[in-house]
Amino acid sequence: MPLIELDRITFSYDDTPAINGLSLSVGEGDFLGIVGPNGSGKSTLLKLIDGLLAPDQGSSLISGRPADQYGRRELARKLAIVPQSYTLDFDFTARQVVEMGRYCRKGEPGRAVVNELLERMGVEALAGRPFNELSGGEKQMFVLAQALAQQPEVLLLDEPASHLDVSHQLALFDMLVELNSEGLTVVCVLHDLNLALLYFKRMAMLSEGGLFVEGAPEEVLSPEMIASVYGVQAYMHKHAGRTFLTFSPRRRPARKLRVHLICGGGTGASLMRRLLDLGYRVSAGVVNAMDTDEVTGRELGLPLAAEAPFTTITDSAHRENMALARAADVIVLTAMPVGAGNFKNVVAVRQAAESGKQVLALSGVEERDFTQGAAAELSGAPGLRYVASDDEVVEGLEEIWESSSLLPAE
Amino acid sequence: MRKPAYQGKTMGLQKRSSWVFAAAILMLLVATFAALAIGPARMSPGKVVDYLFSGRTAGDPLSVVFWTIRLPRVILALLVGAALALAGACLQGLLLNPLADPYVTGVSSGAALGATIAIFVKLPDIPWLTVFAVVGGLVTLFTVYGIATRRGQMNIYRLLLAGVTLSYLFFSVQAVLMIRSGGDVHRVIYWLLGSFSGRGWNEVEVALVILPLLVVPFFFSNELDILLQGEGRALELGVEVERVKRILFVVAALLTAVSVSVSGIIGFVGLVVPHLARLTLGPGHRRMLTLSLLLGSTVMVLSDLIARTAFAPSEIPVGVVTVFFGAPFFIYMLRRRPG
Repeated sequence: MPLIELDRITFSYDDTPAINGLSLSVGEGDFLGIVGPNGSGKSTLLKLIDGLLAPDQGSSLISGRPADQYGRRELARKLAIVPQSYTLDFDFTARQVVEMGRYCRKGEPGRAVVNELLERMGVEALAGRPFNELSGGEKQMFVLAQALAQQPEVLLLDEPASHLDVSHQLALFDMLVELNSEGLTVVCVLHDLNLALLYFKRMAMLSEGGLFVEGAPEEVLSPEMIASVYGVQAYMHKHAGRTFLTFSPRRRPARKLRVHLICGGGTGASLMRRLLDLGYRVSAGVVNAMDTDEVTGRELGLPLAAEAPFTTITDSAHRENMALARAADVIVLTAMPVGAGNFKNVVAVRQAAESGKQVLALSGVEERDFTQGAAAELSGAPGLRYVASDDEVVEGLEEIWESSSLLPAE
Repeated sequence: MRKPAYQGKTMGLQKRSSWVFAAAILMLLVATFAALAIGPARMSPGKVVDYLFSGRTAGDPLSVVFWTIRLPRVILALLVGAALALAGACLQGLLLNPLADPYVTGVSSGAALGATIAIFVKLPDIPWLTVFAVVGGLVTLFTVYGIATRRGQMNIYRLLLAGVTLSYLFFSVQAVLMIRSGGDVHRVIYWLLGSFSGRGWNEVEVALVILPLLVVPFFFSNELDILLQGEGRALELGVEVERVKRILFVVAALLTAVSVSVSGIIGFVGLVVPHLARLTLGPGHRRMLTLSLLLGSTVMVLSDLIARTAFAPSEIPVGVVTVFFGAPFFIYMLRRRPG
């Protein structure tokens, strides 16, 4: 039997619907993260689980019994909640705040439980201090301790990390993982999708008061789901053993200009992202598979001309590269080192320039050239302009964009 | 083994509170004794003890004064002081509002209107003035309660606003009555300002209801502590918030209504004393309520002593004394504790 079973719950604040037919079940030992945009019903959902709000329709069962059939004290022994914000205008000590969590365990010995908790969380030295003199992070640890003092079966958290610095954030979530491994069921609403990816076994994403998707973190937080729920362009990266998300600015001015980067060895990665965020359409080539530029281009979903790892560019890859270059309006040659393996990329730049494409090339080709032939290959290429930095590439592209010849006719 | 910091702190508060309670009890005893001894008919401390233990002696006029005038008056002041202080402490906790006092519920205005009606229709003070005041207070209590409760939930802000609004309404009715009552106006005014003058055992009998009511808030000291975090958090921690609010609100209102019915409206005790207790021993209600109770009684007995001796042989209303000393003190506290 699941610990928490919500069945087609509907709830409205007066006339504003907040939850629409949401079903969700939480089993013993679950470690569930709930995400969703502001106003998607996350906090309302927690209040419905904790019986602070009663659903208009549908049922909310805690261990098989309707939530509203529990006494408050009985429910507090089952579920504890760490609220989104906690203020206290009175001079209690931090320890007294934690002891209030023992209220639902009246008649049971409490002192030892509180002492053990404080020690475990490493905050016993602060316990005698007035709660209001603590920092935000310290306060949050004591509010967590207050909830844990209830010795609940389920811990509900409402954006517990939103006011915490990175060290306190990690301390908090590490603590949750540890508690979960000891059998505590954890349900946590949070905003930080990367924290969610890092810590949770299971995720649920809410949208407009309903459960949009539920499952493994990497499925729930895929760029497609994020785009449809948050309306934001996200990219999923795997780096240094971690999976993480990055987001593009919300307002992407439409630049219908198409830019082809000739790059490799990580010299194009930052430009790819930058141009994409500015609204350009970007392609790249020839990059070797597993090379930073290739990985980045793939994560960003760019059209790529790719070659096998550590392999000299073959004719077929070169042809692909030239096809992408032909489709582009502007070619950019990054500060790519040139060796025998990728000399064909330099050839591609010259051919594109000769076919009438505008080319922006990072200056200093000689210093990066291990073949002694690249500069010669490029000299005299028509439409080739040298620029000093990535910033100048961006400026140059903006100029080209603004020059009327390339503005779309419509 | 090194002692954790919090234990030192907790012990500090415990040790301190024993001293504070010892001092408060001593002050209460001294004040009571002084109030019994001092007056137009002066008695030595030995005589006071003597009278107390030997009972009323018919032939001795001083003994008669002691037993029929002074003792009931002092007992009444003790009871009313404790009642107002405790009612104020409960309401400040429930409303999360340090400016709350026993009169914000409107109950006192209802009681005052009741008393004014009794004076206006020239009913004898005993028992009618008291009866009318209690009835006025209770009617107001249930009206305010009804206005503030919707779908089984009592909204504390609606309660405050209803109380304040009804107070204004009652006051205007009262003003009309006072204008039309001619010669009785000064009686009404005197009564409104609060006084123990001329009160005797009949009023004490009424006020004895206060005793059992004083015990109730102590059963809820944990709940009151937790409620200081807000009603939502209290629910989350397992407190049956509606039940606690209902019980304590009714108790505070009854304490107020009974107090007002026997002594009129005595200001500032219910506002200042809980603050003083909180400043001395912190917000924990077990200690704070106990100290409020002791201090409330002490302050009231002393104020009444001043009221009847300062301009002897004429008396000033005790409500004037409490405001006279309470207002500057409260302003001092506001300045000392910003926010």
